[in-house]
Amino acid sequence: METFFNILLSGILLGGIYSLVSIGLNLIFGVVRIVNFAQGEFVMLAMYATYFCTTHLGINPYLAVFLVAPLMFLFGLAVQRTVLQPLQNEPMMQIFATFGLLILFENSMLALTRGEAYSLSGGYSSVAISLFGLKASGVRVVVFFAATGIALALMLFLQRTMPGKAIRAVIQDRQAARLMGINVERTYLLTFGLGTALAGVAGALLAPIYTLSPYIGENFILAAFAVVVLGGLGSVPGAYFGGLIVGLIESFAGFYIDPALKQAIWFIIFVAVLVVRPSGLMGQIGAEEVGLREQS
Amino acid sequence: MLGQYVGLLLLACAPLGLMWNDPYWINILAYAYLFGALAAAWNIIGGFGGQFSLGHGVFFAIGAYTVARLYLDLGLTPWLGIFPAAALATLVAVLISWPTFRLRGPFFAIATMAINEACFALANYTDRLTGGPRGILVPFRAGFSNMIFIERWKYALLTFGFMSITVLITVLLRRSRLGHYLLAVREDEDAARAAGIDVLKVKLLGMALSAALTGAGGGIFAMYVRVLDPPTLFSLPDVGVKFALISLIGGIGTVMGPVVGALLIVPVENFLRGALGGEVPGGHLIILGIILVGASLFLKRGIVGAFTIALRRIRDRRHS
Repeated sequence: METFFNILLSGILLGGIYSLVSIGLNLIFGVVRIVNFAQGEFVMLAMYATYFCTTHLGINPYLAVFLVAPLMFLFGLAVQRTVLQPLQNEPMMQIFATFGLLILFENSMLALTRGEAYSLSGGYSSVAISLFGLKASGVRVVVFFAATGIALALMLFLQRTMPGKAIRAVIQDRQAARLMGINVERTYLLTFGLGTALAGVAGALLAPIYTLSPYIGENFILAAFAVVVLGGLGSVPGAYFGGLIVGLIESFAGFYIDPALKQAIWFIIFVAVLVVRPSGLMGQIGAEEVGLREQS
Repeated sequence: MLGQYVGLLLLACAPLGLMWNDPYWINILAYAYLFGALAAAWNIIGGFGGQFSLGHGVFFAIGAYTVARLYLDLGLTPWLGIFPAAALATLVAVLISWPTFRLRGPFFAIATMAINEACFALANYTDRLTGGPRGILVPFRAGFSNMIFIERWKYALLTFGFMSITVLITVLLRRSRLGHYLLAVREDEDAARAAGIDVLKVKLLGMALSAALTGAGGGIFAMYVRVLDPPTLFSLPDVGVKFALISLIGGIGTVMGPVVGALLIVPVENFLRGALGGEVPGGHLIILGIILVGASLFLKRGIVGAFTIALRRIRDRRHS
């Protein structure tokens, strides 16, 4: 029985990581309607930025969040402005562009680091926390609570504030939102920046957990897409709970079936959701079909 | 009209005649022809049908593994092995496209990418079939019936022949009823359905044809490189996305675009790999990424598209 609870706990903590990475992706996906293949690379860049802050500037990685996230926000604004805004109504070209960014970021980092793997010193990953008699890795517990906090804060932001309401209006109907006097382009810009800032938070919090490699983004992006499809397009709680579910499934399947098959398991989740409920658990019905049709 | 394409193909063949005894360039040329054919195959569903697949690496790998396995286990000559390879790729394509074709645009792209990654994991897992991560090694036994040659130009001739067949199929498709249906589905799926087109059937037929040609190309690739491992066959930047990239550079949805794109991109990439590979790891891919972003912003219709527009403008000026 203890094994079961251990797997349960590790699944939830893994799910926290997936939630954290997916929330930003899903926000961009739902609002700007861009499939951002480069989101995992934003996380990767933030991880390296955190590493730089910690090793060369001596900043604690958990304080570095407050530096890295705003930087990623600005970086996101620049990317949206220069590359993605001009391609607003061309979904096919957006895929090329974000995939190009993926290849560009990944290999630029490879060239900069010359293929050397880094890991954060300071022993953060060895801190263990006791939870209900089970041992858990402290850095992962932090990620889980951060994901929960961010999901709640983002939901409050979307529900209560004017910019949040504007974002929700754009999710529902671009054109009507424009007629109501919402600056749709500025909303896109804000959302994209927010999404990349969330990737920045994720990167900073994940830096103590993983060994840094230029390719690490690829590990997140597919899981994050599975989460987005499962949770529902543009839904923050969808991404949060979707992340936990995918984490749990991966953890249990890894123990009871075979860890080498995790990609295959993501894919089965993917297809199963698409067949049974294409709009995801918490998405708007029909969003997967109507959502991406041209609205301008 | 057909003569025009034959002329262009002969033009594409010219470097082969000029450099047939230079093994370095002939090698690159053989690759360029093969990838021109594969991009043309992708273009059938990705360009004409507008279904942006990133999962063509799956059909490519199925073709490669099938040809290699039939050759190694049953001694079947690859010339015949190509046909079951194409058939198997088609079958798999139809099976995985059935659920995923209800998705549109970027959703379809993500789903196909997920399929690619899932099959990559499976190929690593099924040791007995694919050799797992170590891969399959096809021993070098030169001979026509083995599709293994000592002279490199024979490979180039083979891939050129395959490319010509693919282009001719594309030309015929473009003028057929199915070709027009595919274009209609790309332009507006709802309007196409309203006009009485069975959208799902059209997409599946386009995908089947595309996958069959990709599978055959994978088979030829298998006998050319003779080392088959999952990271090579399922690589997104080198296989799945490469087909789309080549089509984009040449001109998505045009008949000759993929050929033009391949003859440009493959040599350029090889040159960059040689020039930068040693000093800057991943250097050629940095430039590939920049090309990808740049082309999506400024060269949406590709070289062939830009050329056609320029030609039309000149013609218009002459008339006025």
